[in-house]
Amino acid sequence: MEIYFIALLAPIAGGLMSLFVKENFKLKVVSFFSFISMILCLIPAMHVLLNGESLSMSPITDTMFGALTFVIDPLAAFFICVISVMGFMAALYSNGYMTPYLNKGMNISSHGLFFSLLLSSMLAVVTIQNAFYFLVAWEIMSLSSFFLVIFEDNKKEVLNAGIKYLIYMHISVLFIILTFALLCINSGSMNFGMFREVLQNNVQFANLIFILGFIGFGIKAGFVPFHNWLPEAHPAAPSHVSGVMSGVMIKTGIYGILRILCLIGIPSLFISYFVLIVSVISALYGVLYAITQHDMKRLLAYHSIENIGIIGIGIGTGMLGLAYDCIPVAVLGFAGGILHILNHSIFKELLFFGAGAVYKQTHTRDVEVLGGLIKAMPYTAFFFLVGSVAICGLPPFNGFISEFLIYFGMLQGLAVNSLGMLIVLILSIAGLALVGTMAILCFTKVFSICFLGMPRSDKAENVNSDVSISMVFPMGILALFTLLIGIFPHQIIKALFAPVGMFVNNTPMPAAVSLMQNIAIVCLAFIMFMALLVIVKCVANRKAPLHCTWGCGYDKPNNHIQYTASSYASPFLSMLTPLFKKVFDIKKPKELFPKDSHFSLHIEDVEEAYFLTPFVRSVEKFLSKFERIQNGNIQQYILYGLVFLIITLIGVVFLG
Amino acid sequence: MILSLINLIILLFAPFLVIGVIKKTKAFWAGRKGVSIWQPLRDFVRLMRKDYVISETTSWIFKFSPMVTFATVIFAGLFVPMVQGYSVINMPGGFILFSYILGLGKFFSLIAAMDTGSSFEGMGASREACFTTIVEPAFFIIMASIIALTGNFTFHGLSQVIANAGGLGVLIIVLAVLALFVMLLTECCRVPVDDPTTHLELTMIHEVMILDNSGQDLGLITWAAGIKMVILESLIAALIIPMNLSLGYSLLAFLGVIFGLAVVIGTLESGIARLRMSHVFEFIFSMSSFALIILALVAIKIYGN
Repeated sequence: MEIYFIALLAPIAGGLMSLFVKENFKLKVVSFFSFISMILCLIPAMHVLLNGESLSMSPITDTMFGALTFVIDPLAAFFICVISVMGFMAALYSNGYMTPYLNKGMNISSHGLFFSLLLSSMLAVVTIQNAFYFLVAWEIMSLSSFFLVIFEDNKKEVLNAGIKYLIYMHISVLFIILTFALLCINSGSMNFGMFREVLQNNVQFANLIFILGFIGFGIKAGFVPFHNWLPEAHPAAPSHVSGVMSGVMIKTGIYGILRILCLIGIPSLFISYFVLIVSVISALYGVLYAITQHDMKRLLAYHSIENIGIIGIGIGTGMLGLAYDCIPVAVLGFAGGILHILNHSIFKELLFFGAGAVYKQTHTRDVEVLGGLIKAMPYTAFFFLVGSVAICGLPPFNGFISEFLIYFGMLQGLAVNSLGMLIVLILSIAGLALVGTMAILCFTKVFSICFLGMPRSDKAENVNSDVSISMVFPMGILALFTLLIGIFPHQIIKALFAPVGMFVNNTPMPAAVSLMQNIAIVCLAFIMFMALLVIVKCVANRKAPLHCTWGCGYDKPNNHIQYTASSYASPFLSMLTPLFKKVFDIKKPKELFPKDSHFSLHIEDVEEAYFLTPFVRSVEKFLSKFERIQNGNIQQYILYGLVFLIITLIGVVFLG
Repeated sequence: MILSLINLIILLFAPFLVIGVIKKTKAFWAGRKGVSIWQPLRDFVRLMRKDYVISETTSWIFKFSPMVTFATVIFAGLFVPMVQGYSVINMPGGFILFSYILGLGKFFSLIAAMDTGSSFEGMGASREACFTTIVEPAFFIIMASIIALTGNFTFHGLSQVIANAGGLGVLIIVLAVLALFVMLLTECCRVPVDDPTTHLELTMIHEVMILDNSGQDLGLITWAAGIKMVILESLIAALIIPMNLSLGYSLLAFLGVIFGLAVVIGTLESGIARLRMSHVFEFIFSMSSFALIILALVAIKIYGN
């Protein structure tokens, strides 16, 4: 356990040390220390995961807020593994990614420091079992990530995105404080362990706490309708930061929800259905808007919302299983949801790294001007393809495993004797299937528009090399992870016994293991069959003369006649027109020899366009009435102070 | 073991004959003599012996993808119950793996089409991707409803509908057959969704995606498309044919359904024209309505009292 304490502090030490070294060594120091931290974290975390026994330590016991207790229980251990490994990968990747910024006078030192702080605070968040210190760590996490988002603070849109993120995080923390405050008042302690009793005795209270906590933590996680900060903050941040934020940090929101659930024990039906339905909506909403996006990182941000939804579907299924006392459903649901946390962090970080590599070489995130990058950037393209297939949940990669567990849990739930459950589950199954096919549409779009075909502009044309090894290597490792989890699921699922056991007692996992073994056999056989086909093809190597693409008789094709991302998504989106706010930018061709004409379609988030913006406007309108008070005149401010003092005095004299 | 072998033989060789029967049927309705039903097999053999030309725009994706498409349909075929309801791989939740493996094949065929940089192939890919988003959820609703009804998590649940639902089961089967038939027409790109013999690239879906493929690659793709058709026909067969027939009768009934459906498809193609692209969506959505009615019927059956 002491090892873990060192691991927790190692990144901070690295961050501080990096302040005193030369510019181009700063990130190396940070990644070295995050490596040490990862190794030191994994020792106790793996110990807990495999043995199922919790470790705990209280470095400070006697304060007015209760003891500062660090506990590594199986749930925390699982998150520690995700955070430390993914954090190290991002640190490694940042070495290559940040090189163009080194000599531009950008503040690399603060970037390194805040990155380290983010890692440490996330590790602290998942282990601290005291409400007050949890909130402190939570705030450090939010603030350090805010500073990471606004790294390129000379750009206006980056600052705007950062401020939006900050506001969302503070609404989030408001709800979390409210949750904990209610719990503290009722239990008389700030220790998580003491909350258990008040939550388990009163169902109404537990429901209230869960909903409040779900809103608070859900804003962090990005459940619809609290998702709006994600598509702004992720594109603004440097790619490895987006990777960590999307892959790891938003999962701390899921961690919070799971922790409350842990304390509640058996959830009520109401909150179980609530979680499942909100999650299905989030997943559909996320992937739908992802299809509309042309900005690579915005698109990936919307996919985070989708995947948080899938995780939520797993958790919701597990909760329904608990509520109806149907153990196999609970086990499969929680196992699928928790495994998807790991899976999503792997392929999402991989995809963000890929998007970052493309951004570094082309200086654009707009897919419509890219194309043909697979020739200049073969490694990035290959790993991005692996990530795309994995995120669509296709075998033999990891996304399939968790989605299969969730599907199977829901199918098991059909046997529960309840009409509502039957209808909700079957529609959720259909929803998950729809999400899967829409993800295929989205990722075939982004991969093929970016990497295949011909370059659509000079930006893509001028790329002549792939990114450096320090960026390719982390992508390769992550791609390997996606494949390994996909073909050895029966091994991975054993590590899930303990975390799932936190929610479901007497877990009958053998059924799940044998299911996974079946999948493993099929996937391995499939890979071997593919290998055989490739070998046969190579042996029977026919000569293949090159010719230009068939253009239906037109033999001078150029890059402008290719399909675009908008046109690729158009048949699908035209079916769902009412769900968007479309903004057209058209300049029609005129005269006999039209010169400049263009057409572009931009789709706005309906929640933002019809709810958030009007809401913010009305608040602004109301608050602007108070503008007169703040007029910049110092004398008047002193007067305010005087008036305030006089009122207080009168109040004290007459009321006190 | 023998059943596995029979299944594999049907899976690999029936596709050519099914396509041949469709062509023969169309010729019959058009009053022509038509080509021999062995012609698709001859075409395939000729394609496999030919050299091929590839587009200079393409990358390794283009060469790799036909193999993925082929491998995925073969593996998906192993899950499907055929003669005597026997499937080579029989696992609980098999239909999920089945759909996702086919999804993998689709993913690669879509990016291979986009790899050529042709606007026509992009158009086909975008339509194909769009149709899938309508078909898959409906398929999952049907499978999940049947699992809820029969409690059997494998594809064998398909043949137990009557046993579990009695009279209502007949209605469920009729609707399921209709829904799967729409799925078959969509996934295999037959009239009225798509016309495989059309000569106008603008209106094609599947054919336009493979405009640039030639030689072996084209051979593999057409073979895979045929196998996919046999797979979907087998699902319909599993709904109709009782499981407890003897080997001979079962084989006869199975082949009867497979080729019977081919005759139906051929007749349909002779009788009606393909729909306008905007109406195709409405046609495919009929599958979703069938699926929802099946769900409602299953709910009535289980919670009717």
